[in-house]
Amino acid sequence: MEIGYYPGCSLKQSSALYDLQSRRIFSELGVDLREIEDWNCCGATSAGKVNDFLAVGMPARNIGIAEAAGFDEVVIPCSACYSRTLVAQKRLEDNPALRTEVNRGLSRKVEGRVRISSILEVLISRIDNGAMKNKNLKKFRGLHPVCYYGCMQTRFPYTVPVPDNVENPQGMETVLAAVGVQAIDWNCKTWCCGASASVNDAETAHSLMARIMKEALARGANCFVVTCPMCQLNLDAHQDAFCEKHGIGERLPVFFITEVLGAALGISPEDLHADRHFTDGMKLLKELEQDEQK
Amino acid sequence: MTAPAIEFSPERTAPFLQEVMERSGQMLTACYQCRRCAAGCSVGDETGCFTPNLLIRTVVLGDRETALNNPLVWKCVSCYTCGTRCPNDIQTARITETLKKMAKEAHVEPLLPKVKEFHDSFVESGLRWGRVNEMEFMGVYETKGALREARVKNYNAIVEEIREQAKLGLAMFKRKRMHAGFLMAKGRGEIKALYKKAKQMTTIDQ
Repeated sequence: MEIGYYPGCSLKQSSALYDLQSRRIFSELGVDLREIEDWNCCGATSAGKVNDFLAVGMPARNIGIAEAAGFDEVVIPCSACYSRTLVAQKRLEDNPALRTEVNRGLSRKVEGRVRISSILEVLISRIDNGAMKNKNLKKFRGLHPVCYYGCMQTRFPYTVPVPDNVENPQGMETVLAAVGVQAIDWNCKTWCCGASASVNDAETAHSLMARIMKEALARGANCFVVTCPMCQLNLDAHQDAFCEKHGIGERLPVFFITEVLGAALGISPEDLHADRHFTDGMKLLKELEQDEQK
Repeated sequence: MTAPAIEFSPERTAPFLQEVMERSGQMLTACYQCRRCAAGCSVGDETGCFTPNLLIRTVVLGDRETALNNPLVWKCVSCYTCGTRCPNDIQTARITETLKKMAKEAHVEPLLPKVKEFHDSFVESGLRWGRVNEMEFMGVYETKGALREARVKNYNAIVEEIREQAKLGLAMFKRKRMHAGFLMAKGRGEIKALYKKAKQMTTIDQ
C-alpha cells in the first residue's frame, strides 16, 4: 500500500529521527510512504499571525502537488503541519472564491479530494486491518507512558472533522494497546506545552510544561509519548530548565509514538535513533529489553 | 450624579468591532461572557487575568488601544482551547492573531516584541526558501532582537540571549538535532507570488 507523505521542515531537521522512525515503522506495517515532491513549508502557526491568505496558500500548494501526483491520502506526522493543511483544505472547500483566488497562483490546482491524515489515523487503520497480527512483539511490562497530544492534534482554529475525542483523545492509547502497552490515564493530554513560546516567551512556556510534568509524575509515568515534534522538542530540550525553575527533581524521556512502536516491534534503540534525545531514553529502552528477556 | 463607568458610543465603536469580526471570522457579538474560555485558557495564569472573554468585551466596547496591546494578545499560544469550548463557537485565538496583525499595521510597539519578531522571521524564512531552515530562521530572529536591544543600548540582554541560545544550540548539535544541509522548494516562486497578492488584500472572507 502506497500513500503520500508530507514530512514538513521539522522532520527534515531537528526532528529527523521522527522522519526515520516513521518511514521504518510504516514499512513494517506494509505502508510505503511516498514523499510528495517539492513540498513547501505549511506556514505553521506563524502564517496565521502574519497573513491569513498565506496561511491557506502555503498548505494549498502542497495539497495541489499531492493531488496532481494521484495520491488518495497524505499522512502528515507533524501535528502543526497536519492541522494547517487540514484547515486550509476545509477553508478552500467552504469558500469557492478563495479557492479560485489561490488556484490562480498555483501550477497544480487544489481540487479537494485528497484525504489528509494524521499519523494516528493511518496507524489505527493499519492496526485495524491486521498489520500487527503475526508480529513478534516485545512485552514491555515496565513501560508506563502518558500519552501527550498537545493542541494541534485535536483542536483546530476552524471547524474541521476531528477524528478523535477533542478533550480526551484515545488514538495513541489505542495504538499502544495494539503492542500490549497500557498507557496511564491523566489530565494533561491536550494541555499546551507553549510551542514557540519556549523561544520567545520562555517564562510562560516553562510554567506550562512544569504543570504537565508534575501531573505525569504524580500519575507514576516513566515516560511521555507524543506525536508532535514541537511538543517533543520542547518537553525534551527544555526539561532541565523548566524542572530546575519549578523544583522538579525527576526527569522523563519524551518518546515519539514511532519510537515505542519500533522498540516493541523489535527494532533496536540505536536503529531508531533513540540516542538523539536530550533527556536520556536509551536507559529505559535497554532496561525494557533486558526485562523482556528474563 | 456619578459619572458612567464606561464611555460607550456605538458610532465610534462599530467600525473597529466590524473590522475585527470580518478579519478574524469570529462573531464577537455572540459572546455572553460565560467565561468557559477564561476557565480553560492555557496562559490565564500568565496574563494577569486578562482572559479571552475580557478581550472580546474590550473589542466590543471599542477600546482599540487596549485591544491591540494587552498581555493576552501577545502571550496567547494559539492552543485553541477557548474556541473549542466556546458555546457560541468564538475562536478567540483567531482574534488574538488578527489583533497582532492590526497592531503591526498600526505600528504599535508590541508588549512582547520577541513574539512578533519570531513569527515574522519564521514566515520570512518560509517565503525566502520555500521551507524553513531552522538555523537561518533562528539567526534572523536573534538579529532582529539584538538590533532592537542595541537601539536602547541594552547590551546585557543581547549577551544573555546569545548565551541562552548558544547553550541550546550546542545541546542540539551534540544530539544530532541540528541539520547541516539547506532546505529549499524549487517552486517557492508560487508562494512568493501568492504572498504578493495577499499583501494587496488585508481581509479574506471566511
